[in-house]
Amino acid sequence: MKGFSSQAIHCAALKKDAHGALRMPLYENVAFEFEDARAIQFAFEGRSLGHSYTRISNPTVEDLEQRIRLLTGSLGVVAVSSGMAAIAEIVLVLAEAGANIISTKYLFGNTYSLFEHTLKPWGLEVNYLDLAQPQKLEKAINEKTRAIFLESITNPQLQVVDIEKVVKIAAVAHVPVILDGTVTTPYLFRSKDFGVAVEVLSSTKYISGGAATVGGLIIDNGNQDWSRCPRLAKAAQKYGPHALLAQLRRETHRNLGSCMTPHNAFMQSLGLETLALRFERSCENALVLARFLASRREVKAVNYPGLEASPDHALAKNQFGGKFGGILTFTLQDREHCYKLMDKLAMIRRATNIGDNKTLILHPASTIFCEYGEEEKKALGVPANMLRLSVGIEDPDDIIDDLKQGLEAL
Amino acid sequence: MIITVNGEETNWEGAKVTINDLLSHHKVEKPEMVSVQINGTFVDKKDYGTKIVVAADEVDFLYFMGGGQAS
Repeated sequence: MKGFSSQAIHCAALKKDAHGALRMPLYENVAFEFEDARAIQFAFEGRSLGHSYTRISNPTVEDLEQRIRLLTGSLGVVAVSSGMAAIAEIVLVLAEAGANIISTKYLFGNTYSLFEHTLKPWGLEVNYLDLAQPQKLEKAINEKTRAIFLESITNPQLQVVDIEKVVKIAAVAHVPVILDGTVTTPYLFRSKDFGVAVEVLSSTKYISGGAATVGGLIIDNGNQDWSRCPRLAKAAQKYGPHALLAQLRRETHRNLGSCMTPHNAFMQSLGLETLALRFERSCENALVLARFLASRREVKAVNYPGLEASPDHALAKNQFGGKFGGILTFTLQDREHCYKLMDKLAMIRRATNIGDNKTLILHPASTIFCEYGEEEKKALGVPANMLRLSVGIEDPDDIIDDLKQGLEAL
Repeated sequence: MIITVNGEETNWEGAKVTINDLLSHHKVEKPEMVSVQINGTFVDKKDYGTKIVVAADEVDFLYFMGGGQAS
């Protein structure tokens, strides 16, 4: 069984269900009972294969984690409450006050806010670089660098960088590369094959299947020597390659309490089974829409790595197997034209999310990036005349018709 | 010889004992998901058949609940 969908659908549960349920049941409970005092001691110490408390682990959540582990070929997975929780946890487990991380300068707005406004006051330094020029990393890495953070396709700038080159430079300094793979999902991009140490992603998006539940994933690809990371050196001595997973499960994840709920894990396991089908359609639709928008006189420019004119097209094609994701951006004359188009749309929804079954439109500069000044927005690659489309799985002609009538009304 | 496995003293009568012997003897559930420590130090899975446990050693079998697996 090698196919992505077959594995997603048929991944065997760790334990046989008492009633032979074909799907891992929803264990909507907090506590688990034990036969005797020694058994509960062993569970707390990690000496037995049992769950003790759902904030730390739960059978339904574990089932999703195991499916993701199998699909990604990784060492282990921790499911968390959201994509932002995944990023927060991985930075907090790897870095300490006075240490630094190096990040792509083009980031999801809330990730930038997490680094700048939440973690910097606690003493984390963040050095932003344009990773399209990975050679800059060599000079930027120092003895206090704990991670290099990037997005597989940046949101909403849609920049694609050469991940293998970034990994190669980071490996010389034994610094782990943390990749946010939300926009590509494990279906388009198998980060382990490119040497990425840890992939984080928002499973709220494509995996959840219809944007019904929030969740995040931390995927340890098992290729990093954690003994080189000061925060994990002690754990590495005890747990070897499992140091990151152990430190998360037994400290950071447990203490932050940012667990995925069993209900969300159940829904996301269901969504995972149809990820390939939905994402294929979304990628196909995005390419059709990008070509349509590029042909319109009202549109100043279209940014989609699937367009041959995109400067990142060849790199994206190589890294993501000839598919380019379901997000595109385009620019109009000014912000007023963007608002006018949004208000004219009949089927496409005005909403902030990506990976929904519905096509969604958003003006990033006035929403996700609203807390930043004009200069900061410019530096973050978010101009006022740009719209983002998260392309859904509707019939492509209907999406085109809606955009067409909106553009003609400008 | 006396060795301690998961906090309990065990009298092992054989001349030598490996990690694989102990995993089998203690009927460890899902051994592919267990991580082994001897005296608090991690033991690589590839050494389970050759690493010899000696008298007074403390051996621990630890699980990572959730999505983890021994490499």
